[in-house]
Amino acid sequence: MTLFAASLLAPDLGLIVWIGLTFLILLVLLRKFAWGPITSALSEREDKIRESMEQAEKALAEAKQLQADNDKARREAEAQAQSILREAREEAERMRGEEVNKTRDQIQHLQEAAQTEIEREKQSALDSLRQEVADLAVSAAEKILRENLDADRQKKIVKDFLSDLPKN
Amino acid sequence: MIKRASAFLLLAAIAIAAMPSAALAAEDGELDAIHHSANAYYLDFTPIGKLQLPRIFVVQHEDGSYGLELFRSTAAAILEGGWVAEIDHDGEEHAEGEEGHAEDGAQEAHAGEGEAQETGKYAGITLAQLEGHLVPPGGGHVVLDMSISKHLVFAWLGMIVVAFIMVRMAGKYKRGVGRDTAPKGLFQNLFETLILFIRDDVARPNLGAKTEKYLPYLLTVFFFILTCNLLGLVPFGATATSNLMVTTVLASFTFLLTQFGGTKDYWMHILWPPGIPAFVKPILMPVELLGIFTKPIALAIRLFANLTAGHLIILSLIGLIFSFANMFGPTVGYAVAPVSIAFALFIYCLELLVSFIQAYVFTMLSALFIGMAVVEHHHDHDEAHGEHHAEPTASVA
Repeated sequence: MTLFAASLLAPDLGLIVWIGLTFLILLVLLRKFAWGPITSALSEREDKIRESMEQAEKALAEAKQLQADNDKARREAEAQAQSILREAREEAERMRGEEVNKTRDQIQHLQEAAQTEIEREKQSALDSLRQEVADLAVSAAEKILRENLDADRQKKIVKDFLSDLPKN
Repeated sequence: MIKRASAFLLLAAIAIAAMPSAALAAEDGELDAIHHSANAYYLDFTPIGKLQLPRIFVVQHEDGSYGLELFRSTAAAILEGGWVAEIDHDGEEHAEGEEGHAEDGAQEAHAGEGEAQETGKYAGITLAQLEGHLVPPGGGHVVLDMSISKHLVFAWLGMIVVAFIMVRMAGKYKRGVGRDTAPKGLFQNLFETLILFIRDDVARPNLGAKTEKYLPYLLTVFFFILTCNLLGLVPFGATATSNLMVTTVLASFTFLLTQFGGTKDYWMHILWPPGIPAFVKPILMPVELLGIFTKPIALAIRLFANLTAGHLIILSLIGLIFSFANMFGPTVGYAVAPVSIAFALFIYCLELLVSFIQAYVFTMLSALFIGMAVVEHHHDHDEAHGEHHAEPTASVA
């Protein structure tokens, strides 16, 4: 048994040389044709993943910033619109008020003018009427004076004169 | 769920298929576990036969000249080249004497050798001759035995498998699969997971900025050991990593990388350890010097012992069947068989686990040793040293 156990431990220089050679060849072969491309591909992929994750994070932050900016801008625009609207409404209100006042003044003015005119016209009509009546009385008196004969005749003359008068 | 069950059944089938080859290899009605896990100059395809491997010798002839001698097989060396196989009969008898049946054991062994003559390609040599120590004719002696052995063949097989898989993987990455997109398919995902595990959990924590430099070595050593371990679990397979020579070579690579990559700081720690009283330094120096060598030696023995032990247990459990059959008759042998096989199957699964664990441990410790030597330490020698150094040593233990 001891001797057989020794066969497991027996030195074998030839095998050492062979295995050393074998392993060296494998090492050089794999280093050149396998590990190089594999590890470079793996790290390249990892870099790419890391980069795209960083990019995604950056893009997300940017998007958030953009949204915040947009929100702010929208709020500002809304506020601005509101104020513009309010101003416009106030302006319109003001203008309407002015217009109403102006119109009212104008109407009053016109009314007053009309009143004056009417008054004036009325006066002038009364004046002309007075003139006419006076003229009529004079002409009637003239006629009476011209036909100053008898009473009947006078009466007849007045009657004629009166009938000669226009009806209006 | 069905997939998992079928995977387990497949595993069990392979495990059971792996057993009969060992069982049928019980030439003398007794199975010698150590014999089957030791190196040999043939591939054992029992019951189909044994495939003898080429023998290559560097020979020093009697006149002092050197020569290279090549034979197709051991049989060719003996029958055509006139080489003599020295058979250590005393050793065999001694070995079987310990098991308690020296006489009939030896006789049955000869019967078994007779079978080998029938199945071997070169009739005329016995199994004992096949396994004997070859001596060249004419009084010369072998300087270097460069013969192709079973473990070497399986190391080559492991090399081919690893190279094939990894070069194909690299091709996939070159085409953009896994570079620009997610990895595709079972194989790429599986091996990428392992590669990333070695890089991120083994190399990076120990090597830091030097990861890129040593990663190829760590990956190669991990996949080579893993493949060799697993090849030992395949029917008719052999475990190259259960050979001390193989693990020694692998550990030597770690040793060399450690020493050649060592920083000034590393050598200072060994030759004139800082942070301790001056009179302790001469005592500690030899201990540290010894430590340079004990680390890779432990590395080699750990891998060798773990892989050998698993196989020895499986073979011993199978061997129980024959021992019981020999002692109490074939009926008892048949009765013991299911129990033995159940246990062996369990150990087989354990071996599967051990294959991965030992490949990982070897790689992990290599990374640790190299890391301890090559990584620049930025610390104050008088204060932080003890704390800093305690961590790696703790994990080595």
